[in-house]
Amino acid sequence: MTVPVGAYIAVSAVLFFTGCAGVLIRRNAVVILMCVELMLNAANLALVAFSRKYGSIDERGSVFVVFVFVIAAAEVAVGLGIILSAYRNRPVVNVDEIHQMKG
Amino acid sequence: MTFDFVEPVVFALLSIGVIAGGAAVVLLNRITAAALLMAFTFLCMAGMFVLLGAETIAAFQVLIYVGAITVLILYGVMFTKFSDGPRALLFKRQTPIAAVIVAAVAIPVALLSFSFTSAPPRPGGGDLPALATSVFTDFAFPFEVASVLLLAAMVGAIVLTRRDDPEEAAMRRRR
Repeated sequence: MTVPVGAYIAVSAVLFFTGCAGVLIRRNAVVILMCVELMLNAANLALVAFSRKYGSIDERGSVFVVFVFVIAAAEVAVGLGIILSAYRNRPVVNVDEIHQMKG
Repeated sequence: MTFDFVEPVVFALLSIGVIAGGAAVVLLNRITAAALLMAFTFLCMAGMFVLLGAETIAAFQVLIYVGAITVLILYGVMFTKFSDGPRALLFKRQTPIAAVIVAAVAIPVALLSFSFTSAPPRPGGGDLPALATSVFTDFAFPFEVASVLLLAAMVGAIVLTRRDDPEEAAMRRRR
């Protein structure tokens, strides 16, 4: 590979912090969910890049990427379920206005 | 003539796509456009996986992220109402521009794809055998745990989004 692994890690870091900033600054619950997906995907890129560069032949890093896919799918399904059921109680998606679940 | 310059150029284009797409998801106020740009980001990421030689992961990326997760998020956008006004007709005014862009992309792609003869598959089948061997030997237990997790998430999503039947709720209250 002619592109150094550090370049992939740099892209991964930038995307991760973009998603992180999105989770912190956005108020819309669905957008927050999208930003979490961006962060998971950035982690996937780092895993695959390191697995390609330093891994042995048996692709361990890629196996973890497959598990991250499973977690991401489950997270989106349950997260949207929570958002929709909270929305049904009170039609807001602004996370600042959703107080019911506070203890 | 060597093609060493191709990989850095493709990498640069894909990283610009990934970073710009991610920034747009965070910064845009139109939720529908943000969701579609998230799909674009995931597509560029799949291209990066191909560049890294992980074709199977790229295929999973397209199937799960670009396919399933984007559709789920778009349904979430549809079912909730946002304060940024009726912007649902996102593509209404741009129809001629869209037609020109689609023609400019689709016609060369179609010509190229019909003029290529497909390359023979690589011996050994890419990265799939190593991945599958790892999943079903060393990681067999986490694999089973992941399938139980998916089942639990499925049941949980159904329970969370199920609308309470008023008759059923009344019967429960009577009891």
